Amino acid sequence: MQTYEPILLKNMSRPGYVGSLEDYRGVGGYAMLEKVLKEMSPSDLIDIVKKSGLRGRGGAGFSTGMKWSFIPKDHTGPRYLCCNADESEPGTFKDRQLIERDPHQMLEGIGIACFAIGAHQAYIYIRGEFDLGAEIIQNAIREAYDAKLFGKDLFGTDFDIDVVLHRGAGAYICGEETALLESIEGKRGKPRTKPPFPAIHGLYQEPTVVNNVETLANLPYILKNGPEWYAGIGTQKSTGTRIFSVSGHVKRPGNYEVPLGITLREMIYEIAGGVREDKELKAIIPGGASAPFLKPEHLDARMDFESIAEVGSMLGSGGVTVMDVDTCMVWAAMNLMEFFHHESCGKCTPCREGSAWILQVLRRIEGGLGKPEDIDLLVSLCERIEGKTVCAFGEAEIGPILSTIKNFREEYETHIAEKRCPYRPDAALAIAH
Amino acid sequence: MNKMIKLKINDLEVEVEDGTLLIEAAKKAGVEIPHFCYHPKLKPDANCRMCIVEIEKARKLQTSCSTPVTEGMVVKTNSPEVKEAQFGVMEFLLGNHPLDCPECDQGGECQLQDFAHENSPMTSRFVEEKRVFEKEYFGPLIEKEMNRCVSCLRCVRYCDEVVGSNALGSMQRGNMHEIGAFAHQELECEYCGGCIQICPVGALTSRLSMYDYRTWQLKKTETICNYCGDGCLLTLEGVKDDITRVSSEMGAGRNGGDLCARGFFGYGMINHAERLSRPTVRTKGRDLQVTWDWAADKTASGLNEIKAKYGPQAIGGVISAHCTNEEIYLFQKLMRQTIGTSHIDSSARLGHINAVSGLVKAFGTTRMVRYEDILQADVLLVFAGELTESNPITAIKVKEAVRQNKAKLIAVDSYSAGRETYISHLPNLATHHLEIRPGTEGTAILGLLKAVAEGSHQTSLSQTARDKFKESLSSVSYDNIEAVTGISEKTFREMGTLYAGAQRGVLIFGRAITRCEEGYQNVLKLADLAIAAGQAGQPGKGLLSLTKENNEYGAVEMGGASEYLPGLQPVGAEQKGHTLVEMIDAAARGEIKALYLVGENPFRSLPQKKVEEALSNLELLICQDLFPSEVSALAHIILPAASYAEKSGHFTNLEGEVQKVRKAIEPVGNSKPDWEIFSLLERKLEAELGDPSQSQKLEAPSVDVVWREIVTTLPAAWPNLSEEKIVAKMTAYIENGLRSYVVPERAREKEEGVFDLSMSQVLFHAGRMSTYAPGLTTLLEKAVVLIHPDDAEDLEIQEGEEIELKAGGNGSGVTVPVKFSKKLSVGSLLFPEHFGLEMQALLPLTVDPITGVPYGDRGRVTLAKVSAPVS
Ligand SMILES: Cc1cc2nc3c(=O)[nH]c(=O)nc-3n(C[C@H](O)[C@H](O)[C@H](O)COP(=O)(O)O)c2cc1C
Ligand code: SF4
Ligand code: SF4
Ligand code: SF4
Ligand code: FES
Repeated sequence: MQTYEPILLKNMSRPGYVGSLEDYRGVGGYAMLEKVLKEMSPSDLIDIVKKSGLRGRGGAGFSTGMKWSFIPKDHTGPRYLCCNADESEPGTFKDRQLIERDPHQMLEGIGIACFAIGAHQAYIYIRGEFDLGAEIIQNAIREAYDAKLFGKDLFGTDFDIDVVLHRGAGAYICGEETALLESIEGKRGKPRTKPPFPAIHGLYQEPTVVNNVETLANLPYILKNGPEWYAGIGTQKSTGTRIFSVSGHVKRPGNYEVPLGITLREMIYEIAGGVREDKELKAIIPGGASAPFLKPEHLDARMDFESIAEVGSMLGSGGVTVMDVDTCMVWAAMNLMEFFHHESCGKCTPCREGSAWILQVLRRIEGGLGKPEDIDLLVSLCERIEGKTVCAFGEAEIGPILSTIKNFREEYETHIAEKRCPYRPDAALAIAH
Repeated sequence: MNKMIKLKINDLEVEVEDGTLLIEAAKKAGVEIPHFCYHPKLKPDANCRMCIVEIEKARKLQTSCSTPVTEGMVVKTNSPEVKEAQFGVMEFLLGNHPLDCPECDQGGECQLQDFAHENSPMTSRFVEEKRVFEKEYFGPLIEKEMNRCVSCLRCVRYCDEVVGSNALGSMQRGNMHEIGAFAHQELECEYCGGCIQICPVGALTSRLSMYDYRTWQLKKTETICNYCGDGCLLTLEGVKDDITRVSSEMGAGRNGGDLCARGFFGYGMINHAERLSRPTVRTKGRDLQVTWDWAADKTASGLNEIKAKYGPQAIGGVISAHCTNEEIYLFQKLMRQTIGTSHIDSSARLGHINAVSGLVKAFGTTRMVRYEDILQADVLLVFAGELTESNPITAIKVKEAVRQNKAKLIAVDSYSAGRETYISHLPNLATHHLEIRPGTEGTAILGLLKAVAEGSHQTSLSQTARDKFKESLSSVSYDNIEAVTGISEKTFREMGTLYAGAQRGVLIFGRAITRCEEGYQNVLKLADLAIAAGQAGQPGKGLLSLTKENNEYGAVEMGGASEYLPGLQPVGAEQKGHTLVEMIDAAARGEIKALYLVGENPFRSLPQKKVEEALSNLELLICQDLFPSEVSALAHIILPAASYAEKSGHFTNLEGEVQKVRKAIEPVGNSKPDWEIFSLLERKLEAELGDPSQSQKLEAPSVDVVWREIVTTLPAAWPNLSEEKIVAKMTAYIENGLRSYVVPERAREKEEGVFDLSMSQVLFHAGRMSTYAPGLTTLLEKAVVLIHPDDAEDLEIQEGEEIELKAGGNGSGVTVPVKFSKKLSVGSLLFPEHFGLEMQALLPLTVDPITGVPYGDRGRVTLAKVSAPVS
């Protein structure tokens, strides 16, 4: 089995490394923050990050350097950086590890990004359930302030950076960048209509960049080793490594950092040890709950942004969920829909009403009460959501439905014809409850 | 004007201003795009997704309510993709909707119904169980039916963006989303009814008229509200002759369709059972209900007898400023010309006359500031801490200026900046709040004036005028000012600089100026301040006096004041008759023998004992009113008057805008509009005088004829005064008018256990009339005295507990329950003036030496607990 040199998970794999400031500085931490503040201009920094090809790890995979460059140069008021640590996508648990095991790596990235966009104030928006993570970040922030790595006049320059930790309250939607901004502002977390984009009117209507934890954590290494080094890892358009959270029916679930572009097959069968009990593989979600399901025939697809899109799915948040042959696809879709129904913020009509309706239909089919026309109804409802919602949650929730119908339509038909779930004989009972 | 943008909508060329939203551009092109969440008053939220359109080159369909036009845009609002998307939204919205249109009060004027007709499939694919919300009421006046809600958030956004009440919010997620008050508590808001008006469906409706009508049965009449001086355009909607509902057309009227609780929920007084409904003549203690003809004969002969016996000056008349311009005009004409007395006054005497006298002296006019000027002002200086309650629509303009347009708001008053959760409060909204000691407005104005006069800002004032200002203030010391007002020199200097530095400064003042001691002098000081600061005499700058009753402005302009003939033409000092206070005094002395009181009740403004004595002394007391009162109890003749809903005419609001009042229903019972009564009396009186030429005039003229007469009688320039004339008057005023200013030696001592009590208006009432509106009494039913919770804590008083208030520590006291309010300054008490006459008796009365305005709203009292706390 080929092994890969990790970047982000490297420090924490050292024996005795607990992620304290002392530990992090021991491996050269914060040198890059000092360097950018003292020696670089924001535009040089943005150019380097553009050159590295770094793309957002939060879901959409947008070029980080490009996103930064949208911040108006001539803006005189405040600007903000928000670190998105809301990681709530079912099947994704990589940011949590980065936060809990090496918080300063992320903090240094935050400092660098602040300098790039001219922000003196950063917020870290952490998922409400991450109690331990919040405590660890809070301690790390304290350590960093004590060491004058954050605060006023950093490293003898006149640049100030303040960091504030903001804890979420349990809504998945607050990971969506504009809902996240609303939430920081103290309002109910609901996505805003875009445009305007956060780069123009973000937090408190000021220019703002929202970046994912993993995206930010990459920055010190890109600066240390140069953009060319980073661009040399992965594929041409999907550079660098990514941490994939592999879960489900595999022998070795966990977070694995690999260069972008390895195949799904390598990820599942070599790195994660193959399907549990050596059963046959049935389906793969390659990028978190929002990503459409793939089939075993896609195993040779490469795990980079482009290749996965080509086979009809996405890398999304990097959560790889593996399902074996005994998994019911209708049930899996229903299960995800339970989540999306519960999390739909309720702002826009198609998602608010559609998610509940789709779930009701799925429950019916899974419970043995489906009708043949229900399958087309589901497709039609999904189409009436697609492209018509305020935020990308709409696309996210229909992905599992449309892809299971496309790839596993016969399972839906069997449910309807046999008036029961072939995999879960007691499904009807469970749903009735 | 902005740049113009050309675009194409459904192959139609349209040209609109840059920044226009697509949905508005389409409207301009005659294309209606279906929508729910969009409302021109609100910022786009684009949540319903109904207004989706196809824009060439855009990756996906776009919401037209949130997309501004761009040059060359090509838009389709009716392509198959668009129609399919709209079908989709409709299907989703109707899926869980109860489809209970037959019993929904919105049926017939519901956007969901309307758009469903055009944009939805005829059958439903939704066979699941519908989502059902448990019934929940939304406070005493609002019916909440969340099963009908389309989650457009218009209500929430209106309450937040326009009212600033923030009483509503989203609760729950997904399709369990509902609108709620914080933590399912009862709504405790401004009850403006705006959320009901703006809800596109029947999710929020009025409980006052629940199931009382079907929308198509309603006869609608646009008229002007009769409560406060803001002058809101509202639509009275009635089934037959019963007013069942009030609305206000979005964007229309000076109020732009916004209303307050009084306008929206206060119509119940119109068809109230206790309305006086028949002319009544009282002889030997017996009430005889008579015909109008008989009553008019009795009145005319009664007046003629007095006139014959004692001369016309033995007769006096006072009219309420709730009456129309036509009525006030006819009344003063009846008194002055037909009867020949000079004793005529109106309720504008109770304060507004101070503003008129002062402003006319300084500027020659009272028309300087309109709502538009408030919106465009960059600095607002407001002496009216109660503004959001006394004049809620003016307050909405101030809120918009401050919250949306970022104007600076300097509030000078004796309230604290604390806020009761969901009712807005001016000091709380202020960017700069000067909490002065009660009754020290005059000194505070001097503090600002001195700062301005000694400051270095640019004005068009001549150097001599500036020097004069400076000199006349040289003897005034900030030590004294601070000792009196409690505000530091530094603050005065900063605020003076801010106000004088404004591009467009607007000064607003209310009852703390006009209805309190030194009122007239304080108006003049405010005029001096505005002139010295260069904030008068140019467009967008000036002073605005808040009026309490709906037509105080018109009352004075129509000649309803002893010192003014119609058109503010001064009455010579020789000919000037008695003011209200003087008439009561003269009646007590036996000089005035007959009083004609039209809607005006002196018991509410003057010491009751004295009024009772005076009125009992009269040989003839005529009471013309809507409801029984202390006056009707003593009257010899009672003439039942029609309410504003039952007549036509004009009201003039506090900006000086003359607005049309339209009759919505026939007079209730056997009442008559005041103007009809006056013209009936005029004919009777003249016929009795035997003037044969009058016999042809027996037909009552129409109000239109009266209005034409008014317009031709008034000076040609009325109502506007040119800018040059204002400047000329202003210059003349400061050249020869500057006075020496005096500051009281030092502050009044704070005494232990002594509180400053003041009477004021509250949001849910206006005068006495509103206490007959069940909608409003539901919100505030009986007298309570407000106290700051800190004071209550010191005195160990609990909310609802009764306390006894006494003046000067002796005499009989008044017992009332207390309510806590963080809006009050510590050490002060506030009593809503709409209730109980007893409280007034505790307050001393003084009369303005120049304008004759009685001041009886403030005083000092001691306070004692009387009962155990109520649980
Ligand atoms: C429904 C929804 C949930 C999201 N949740 C997260 C999240 O938990 N964490 C995250 O980093 N990005 C999340 N995103 C993506 C963010 O909106 C945003 O694109 C991202 O934080 C940008 O950072 P990046 O450019 O570094 O990827 C979510 C997006 C949607 C539509
Ligand atoms: S798509 Fe769903 S989650 Fe996104 S705004 Fe609409 S209702 Fe909210
Ligand atoms: S203040 Fe009350 S009545 Fe007015 S919009 Fe808000 S919730 Fe509705
Ligand atoms: S109550 Fe009415 S205005 Fe408010 S969200 Fe529901 S439908 Fe819209
Ligand atoms: S009207 Fe545009 S989205 Fe609701």
